[in-house]
Amino acid sequence: MKVSTIFALVMKDLRIELRDKYAIGAILLYVVTSTFIVYKAFQSVSVMAWNVLFWIIFLFAALNALVKSFNQESKNQYLYYYQIVHPGDLIVAKIIYNILMLMLVSLILYGTMALFTINPVQSLGLFFVCITMGAIGVSTCFTFVASILSTQNNQSTMMAILSLPLIIPILLLLLNLSAGALGIVNDTGFTADLLMLAGIDLILFGLAVVIFPVVWRS
Amino acid sequence: MNLYKNWWKYLAILILLYTVIAGLMVPLKPGITSIGKSVFATGEEAMISVEVYNAEYGGQAPKSYIKLDQSNFIEAKSVEVGEGRTVNVTFDIPATLPGKDNTAITTLFLTDEANGTLVYPNALILQSKPTTSNRTWDIKEMPRLYKKSGFLFPYRNILIETIRNTFYHIPLWFSMFILFFGAMIMNVKYLRKRNIDDDHKASSLITAGILMGCLGLATGSIWAKNTWGAYWTTDVKLNMSAISMMIYFAYLILRSSMDDVDKRARISSAYSIFAFFTIVPLIFVIPRITDSLHPGNGGNPAFGGEDMDNTMRMVFYPAIIGFTLLGTWIASLVLRIKRLDEKVHLKMME
Repeated sequence: MKVSTIFALVMKDLRIELRDKYAIGAILLYVVTSTFIVYKAFQSVSVMAWNVLFWIIFLFAALNALVKSFNQESKNQYLYYYQIVHPGDLIVAKIIYNILMLMLVSLILYGTMALFTINPVQSLGLFFVCITMGAIGVSTCFTFVASILSTQNNQSTMMAILSLPLIIPILLLLLNLSAGALGIVNDTGFTADLLMLAGIDLILFGLAVVIFPVVWRS
Repeated sequence: MNLYKNWWKYLAILILLYTVIAGLMVPLKPGITSIGKSVFATGEEAMISVEVYNAEYGGQAPKSYIKLDQSNFIEAKSVEVGEGRTVNVTFDIPATLPGKDNTAITTLFLTDEANGTLVYPNALILQSKPTTSNRTWDIKEMPRLYKKSGFLFPYRNILIETIRNTFYHIPLWFSMFILFFGAMIMNVKYLRKRNIDDDHKASSLITAGILMGCLGLATGSIWAKNTWGAYWTTDVKLNMSAISMMIYFAYLILRSSMDDVDKRARISSAYSIFAFFTIVPLIFVIPRITDSLHPGNGGNPAFGGEDMDNTMRMVFYPAIIGFTLLGTWIASLVLRIKRLDEKVHLKMME
């Protein structure tokens, strides 16, 4: 596993993304549209509902964004990567790239939700920690599922069926943690949640790196 | 017919028979179901009619005590065995409460040689009121309490006879988890050796595990209706188990969506290993840090000490082994069907 290879792969993904901007544009439009729907439908959003809506919109934006992780490029291109890089590097690069993208998406989501509805965040630091941990967990899980589904034809349906149950523990912990950041619960014991979230993220990351090379042969 | 080859199947039958017979036939220890009126003032004469369960008082009245704390007891003024299952007990409540609080919660004991000791926690609630009585908490040490010996399950309030579900509900979950663990090992083996039979084994074990999980959910649901009052509650462990079932249902859907045998084996093995490590925090970690109605979670006492005594362990541990063997048996039947299917498939290809 080489840092320079991973960096090169991340840059490659970024360049592909920027070359045809429709994908990232679609995600951003989705984020803005759903925020607008929330704003029109709810009139006034309570802090509790804000918390839930933020993570639900984030989750589905991530699902839409990450389902295409492994079919942006042609099969021949992947055969080429397979020969020159270690598959572990490839999945790590994909996960890192997706983490960066999800963090961008969640920041934009936070911005639009704060603009259209309310800005209930009390502790900005903790909220950013939530966003980071959420991006890491969701990205690892969804990228892995996308990788095992890359050769399937009914990808988007299977993606939702497989990854939504897997993401529930991470999502519940995130809801708890960000409830602390929004000041809904005056709980000082968020370190336990945080450690557990970090633990789950780490285990999933390790599993993805170990299993992916075995799966990635077709 | 080879007896030695299938010894574990006979063992499974024997253990399950033992679990069903011992688990359902062994009587419970005597206990108290209700006590009627429970709030009294100090200095008052408290007459309560105690409903007992499984206790036989043949004309001979038991002794009865109220316990306030480790060093304050009083004995009943009179104990009469009434009609049916009631025992009428009268206490003279002392004039003062030893502590600073205005109310005190006491524990009621009925004790005699034949039935042992019947305990009812949070029995009489005493409220401090001015009175002319001069009675005191006259017994300062734990009075002599009889123990009923023999092979009997403990009596617990609210649970009562449903305590027997411990032998079916919990072992079903244990066996589900053991089967999923076995499937995970088989998946790892498949990804290393690429032997298609390992994948058949894994998917058979998961099918049997899902069956066990569904039964665990059903038995738990019935138990919840009796003790917590609803078939489905917001209890965290319950919902986490439901999610882990969903994850494995997704595994079955994933498998049925693919026709290519090797591809199916590879993808579903990878998913199943990933899934197994996701359900570990779901079932074992998250319920422990959140409030839960289940024992051992959110500050509730775990099984051990109070809830589970040695007579129950004698049925509980064999039940885990029995249900796991049964699950393995079901898995082996599913495996044989899968192997035959494969053979038919290969024949058709020729």
